[in-house]
Formats: sequence, structure tokens, C-alpha cells
Amino acid sequence: MNNSFPRLIDGMCATLRTEVLSRLDDEFARGQVFGVINLLNTFKSRADWSTDFLSQQVSVQCHALEQVGSLIASVPHAPKVATLPTPQVISPSELLSLRDSANLEISKLLDWLVSVKESLPEETALAVESELRHAMRREIEIELKNSPRPLFAEMSSGQENPN
Amino acid sequence: MNEELLPDQIADYLQQQTGHAVQVGPLKRFAVGFSWKTYLVPIAGGLPEADGATELILRLGPSDGLFAPYSAMPEFLSMRSLESSGIPVPKAYWASDDSETFGAPFLFSQKVNGAAVVPWVPVNTPPLDEAYRKSLGAEFIDALAALHAVDWSDRPISQMAQGINIQNAALTNVLYWEKQIERWAMRPYPAAQWAVRWLKDHCPIAPRVAIIHGDYRTGNFLEENGHITAILDWELVHLGDPHEDIGWVSMPMYMGGSPHFCRLTEPEWFYQRYSEKVGFEVSMASVKYYRAFSLLKLAATHMAAARCFEEGRFNDLRMPAMGSQIATCLRQLEKTIESPL
Repeated sequence: MNNSFPRLIDGMCATLRTEVLSRLDDEFARGQVFGVINLLNTFKSRADWSTDFLSQQVSVQCHALEQVGSLIASVPHAPKVATLPTPQVISPSELLSLRDSANLEISKLLDWLVSVKESLPEETALAVESELRHAMRREIEIELKNSPRPLFAEMSSGQENPN
Repeated sequence: MNEELLPDQIADYLQQQTGHAVQVGPLKRFAVGFSWKTYLVPIAGGLPEADGATELILRLGPSDGLFAPYSAMPEFLSMRSLESSGIPVPKAYWASDDSETFGAPFLFSQKVNGAAVVPWVPVNTPPLDEAYRKSLGAEFIDALAALHAVDWSDRPISQMAQGINIQNAALTNVLYWEKQIERWAMRPYPAAQWAVRWLKDHCPIAPRVAIIHGDYRTGNFLEENGHITAILDWELVHLGDPHEDIGWVSMPMYMGGSPHFCRLTEPEWFYQRYSEKVGFEVSMASVKYYRAFSLLKLAATHMAAARCFEEGRFNDLRMPAMGSQIATCLRQLEKTIESPL
């Protein structure tokens, strides 16, 4: 794709609003279109082109450059081929899995803390709880920072400006 | 469930119930509601067995819906229980959990005139007209107080009592919604787990066991000229602590950027007027508790929406949008628990 991801999302939302909604009378169908716009806005703030897809492309390129570099290394006056590091990209699915594993660990520690709270030094118990809750809070705050305003009003009424 | 066949199926069903032919017009599906499907059913010539109505409301609880499998009975029993109570509730005519008829549990009820005030509003939406807000707000408070004052013990909804009392009302609810989270969450939510523990440790005793609407807010009643004409969406009705509905009413996401509960009432006015009408003093500790509980319940509902969409049970695009609001609920939940009384 040659267009930027955010610009494509903006274009899709604008088209849905100006070209589709203006010709659509059914209330439920209009609500669904607002649902699509809501999701597209979420993608705009949280998504980008797939790193899997891009890292596959870059890996192929790196491999080719490395191979060519070897092939022409002894050729007189051959250009020096830049060797790029093969990308070590963690895929989104791996990151999601890591996040869930971390949350599971936090959950287990919360359970453990309740079971031993009486026997732990108060300072230690408070510090552990504070750390765990800070992590929980920050995860949510980061998510909220990357969430567009939901279009519930529009989705449930089918209208651009309900009330 | 095939929507194209629905008008004919409705005509057949109503003929069975009334003993005469019924002609059904083209259905209209409403965008309202995130769970049950709601249709307007035109009846040619009116239906004497439904007070001569020329239009009925049909609600269907689809097998792929948000909290399926559904039962029409809580809604039917509550609406029947509130007939002649003075609380504006549509009259319920027929209902069944039998999925043979329409492919889903169903409820036919009266179509009441009016429009819903949407709780969610775009940024910079001007506040509601003051006289309109106060008129509607007073009726909003009064109807809830009247609901919580109903002696339900000899009414159809008493079938749902199931051992509930003032001591166990809170814990019963928390355990139920904890199970819902276990059922629906697609990943661990330690913030929800932490909140559940707090709720279990701080259960209040209810002033009485009352009929709880379960989703009492703007969007779930109709109004006409500043007066409530019907309270709708009784699918989450149950028996419990009256503070539960107040906690739900007071959630920040229904304030629409205003300082008013459900865009309608100042909190102080709500507490004062409600207390006078219902006959007991509102406990601020219980309101805080049930606001936190309500946020957990809303988070669970959003978890359900996300899972149902993920599993392909339906393609309603409002559901993933709901699912994106789990974090909002959990953030508000923590703030509520941490807030002073």
C-alpha cells in the first residue's frame, strides 16, 4: 500500500459519512455504519500495517543483500553491499501473549498477597500491592490513551447528532 | 431465525392466540438495544385481544445474542407484576421461552408512544432544556422509588425470589457477575479480580428486597413532552437491594458530560427526592458500593460483547465497539473504590 494507514482510515470514515449514510434510511443499518466508523477510528489510533507482513518483506530483502554481498565480494570494483541486520521483530500476537501472561502472574500474586498479608511485614505487603496496582492502572491508562471517543449515541440512534 | 418469514410466523402465532385471522404489516427493526432484537409489528385493523392495538412490540432473544440463552420470563413477569401499579410500563400480552415459534424466546407487548433520550451524546452537545430536564428528572426519580416500594411478595415476579434476603442480596449479585466474567473474559483482567475481592469484602445489608430494573437509565425509557410514557428493557430485572439501581443510574458514562445523573438530575436532588418517596434514607456507602458493582457489571457486559463477536456468534458491529470500553469501566471502577464517601 502506498497510502498511509491513518489517511486511509480517515478516507473510509469520510466516505461512509458523506456517501453512504446520506443515502441510507434504515435506522438499524445506519447504526451499523456508525459501528464501522467507530472501529475504524480505533484502528487508526492503535493499528498500523502488519509487522509480520513488513518483517517478511524486509527479511527477504536482507537475505538477498547478504547473498549478493557474498557472491560479489571477490569481484573487482563491485559495489560494497550494505549488510542490514535481520529484523528481530516481536509479532503483535507474541506481545498479546506476553501481556496476558503478565496479567495472569499479577492475578496470582494478588491472590497470594491476600493469603499471606497477615504474616508479611506491613511495609512489604503495601509495597507489593502498590506495585501490582500501579501496573494494572498503567495498562488501563495506556489503553484509554489509545481509544477514540465511542460513537454509542450514533450507533444506538442511527443519527449523526442525536437529541 | 429467518427475518423474511417473521411477518407470516407472527400472523400464524397471533391467530393461534386469538382464534381469528390476523394481518401483519411490514416489520420495522429498531436500532435500540444491544441484546434482544426489537421490532414494531403493524396489525391491520387492530387486535381486540391486545386492547385494540394496531401496533405491537415484539422482542426476540436470539440464540446468538449477548447473554444467550435468553428467557422472556423475567421481563414478562415483571411487566405483569407492575400492571396497575402506576409505574409506566408497557402491557405485556404474550411471551414464551419456546424457540419453536420464532426461533427464539419472545415477548409481545404494548407499543407506547414516545422517544428515548440517548444517554451518550457527542462532545459539545448542549445540555437538556432546564424545564424539560427537571420535569423528566422528577418522574425518573419517582418511578424508580415507586418500583422499589412495590410489595412484590404476592405478584408474579415472586417466582424469582430464590432465597434472596437483605443480608445476601449483594453477595448473590457479585457471585453471579463474577461467574459471568469467568464465562466471557477472553484474557485475564487482574483489575476486575481485585474489584471483585473488594466487593465481596464490603457487602452492605439492603434496606429491603425490592424489584430491581437492572438497567435503569436514559435510553431505557420513552418520553413525550417531558413526561415518561414507558420504562422499557426489563431483561436484567431481578430482586435485590434498591441501591443497586441507584448505583447504575449514577455511573459516569451515563452523565453525557453533564453534572447530572443520566443527564437528568443533580445527585443531591436525586437522593433527597428518592428518599422521601421510597421511605428509607439512601445510604451513601451503599451507593458507592453499587456504583462500583455496576461498573464491574458493565465491564462484564462489554467482555461478553467482545467474546460473542470474536467467536462469530454475530456480526453486529456495535458489539466490538462495546468491547473497546472494558478499560473505561475498569478505570472508573478503581476510581470509585478509591473515592471517599
